[in-house]
Amino acid sequence: MPEAAIRRSAEPFLFRTLAIAFTVFIVGYILVPILVTLVMSFNDAAMIRFPITVWSLRWYADFFGSAQWTDALRNSIVIAAGTAVISTSAGILCAWAFQRFPIPGRDALYVLIMLPLFMPGVVLGLGVAIAFGGLSIGGYSFYGSRAMVMLAHSLWAMPLVFMLMEATFRTVDNRIVEASYDLGGGPVRTFFEIVLPMVSTGIVSSLLFAFVISLNEFVMALFLTDRDTQTLPVLMWLSLRSAGTPRLAVASVILALTVFACLSLIMLWYIRQLRKVSQ
Amino acid sequence: MVAPALELRNVVRRFGSVVAVNDVSLSVARGEFLTLLGPSGSGKTSTLRLIGGFEDLNSGAILIDGQRIDHLPAYQRDTATIFQSGALFPHKTVAENVAYGLRMRKVAPPDMERRIAEALDVVRLRGFEQRYPAQLSGGQKQRVALARSLAVRPAILLFDEPLSALDLSLRLQLRAEIKRLHDELRFTAIYVTHDQGEAMAMSSRVAVMNSGRIEQVDAPEKIFHAPASEFVYTFIGESCCLPVEVGPSGVADKSGALLPLHLGQSQPTGKSRLYVRPSRFRLAAEAAALPNRLRARVHFIEFLGDVYRYHLKAGALELAADHPGAIGVKAGEEIDVGWRNEDMSVFR
Repeated sequence: MPEAAIRRSAEPFLFRTLAIAFTVFIVGYILVPILVTLVMSFNDAAMIRFPITVWSLRWYADFFGSAQWTDALRNSIVIAAGTAVISTSAGILCAWAFQRFPIPGRDALYVLIMLPLFMPGVVLGLGVAIAFGGLSIGGYSFYGSRAMVMLAHSLWAMPLVFMLMEATFRTVDNRIVEASYDLGGGPVRTFFEIVLPMVSTGIVSSLLFAFVISLNEFVMALFLTDRDTQTLPVLMWLSLRSAGTPRLAVASVILALTVFACLSLIMLWYIRQLRKVSQ
Repeated sequence: MVAPALELRNVVRRFGSVVAVNDVSLSVARGEFLTLLGPSGSGKTSTLRLIGGFEDLNSGAILIDGQRIDHLPAYQRDTATIFQSGALFPHKTVAENVAYGLRMRKVAPPDMERRIAEALDVVRLRGFEQRYPAQLSGGQKQRVALARSLAVRPAILLFDEPLSALDLSLRLQLRAEIKRLHDELRFTAIYVTHDQGEAMAMSSRVAVMNSGRIEQVDAPEKIFHAPASEFVYTFIGESCCLPVEVGPSGVADKSGALLPLHLGQSQPTGKSRLYVRPSRFRLAAEAAALPNRLRARVHFIEFLGDVYRYHLKAGALELAADHPGAIGVKAGEEIDVGWRNEDMSVFR
């Protein structure tokens, strides 16, 4: 058999083996931290340590029995929900304006809107803390409030929503918008009744992305929260310095599961929409 | 005197340095079916979009029933457009699509049900109420679009090339259906198309547009038989152009050879273009008694289905003549070709 032919048959095999090995490595690399945390959360011991001798749900009971930890979880979720609403509504309106109206200095404005996304969290967190630290409205101190963290997190989430929705709005057939005007639908009604349902996948994705971004965010939350409003990642960091109990693993699993649930929702909605338009 | 259903007065629309609609004036009576016919870029779609309120005019006025409407946004105009793509609302059912315009006009619910049913009856889509647009064929979508526009009973229906995305047999079928609907309902319609067959078959009048201007507005028969300009003549139907030179001693071709043609009285001297439609040429023995007659050489012959097309050369002139049957001449042979005076148009 000529040498070239042997090489041709051998090469794909080598290549395939390498590809598989690499994929396994990548998947493992992604999964290991999550799996380790998951396993550790069922550890009965008082410290995060291998090997696990006794399995139990002790730390889950401990987590949900502790007011400090459940408060932190509630803070995280409330702030994430608020961030999702604020950044999605702002991002959608901004993207629609970009799509519909001639805006002077459009490209420069685009870069400006995207800028916070590339800013370090410390810079934004410190900036917001300095700028609004002394602010109080009607005796209500703004600093340390959940609202302030929501706005700070929206600095990151809004550009993402804007980018996503700007691309989504471009897929909207302008003739359909015109058809709504044509039949007597004003701009506001057209936007809410015709345009928004057409981009529902984008909206759901935006909401959940923004939610996840806020849930995961740590640095700004560290700068801007106090004892009553601290989020789960902040509390985890603080307690890691005192004692590394498996309670931390439980908190991690809960955060990871929430993120996973959000991603699943995006997928489900996407599939639902696909079904609807291609029956 | 009753005001026309639609009136355009010296309407101008510019896009940058391009004048898309150039001083267009038009008056459409109630119940008329007027077609804007022209090649792409002739300004017909821009004109329609100006009427619908999707473009702003630079100067001029648009009136519906004698009232100026050019300052109103699209959603306050009593017009309804059938778009090329149908432009149905994808997340609404057929019934909801039709209901949308009625809801905007605050039609009471019992009335609304009846009018949705009527509109779907008219386009023969009863039983499709709960379908989504994605579940409809191209032709059905266009019929829903038609029902949606008809249901609001607008003062003017605007058609923006509604059939051009469909295949031929469906196009002919829907064309006949729109024609039937117009005969039944007598709505006032402005119909934009580049398809002259559509324009001829459906319209009470045709406005032929070219580079932003209206060249001629007339009944389809007039447009076809008495074109007002060279553009209209060449755009409508097929034509064969014979460039000639009119001199004191008669009509000559480019090379100066005199031609035995009768252009009628008072043709100005100079270069002219003489047009005959291929179907109006007569060949061989049939040409013998005709006042205009040339001896031509057969260049090549095409079979077009209904007719054979003879491509002929007579001196410097090239002709294309249709004949229903084969006449037993081959390429390279000579043949007589003739036409009547009334089948000839001269432009200079």
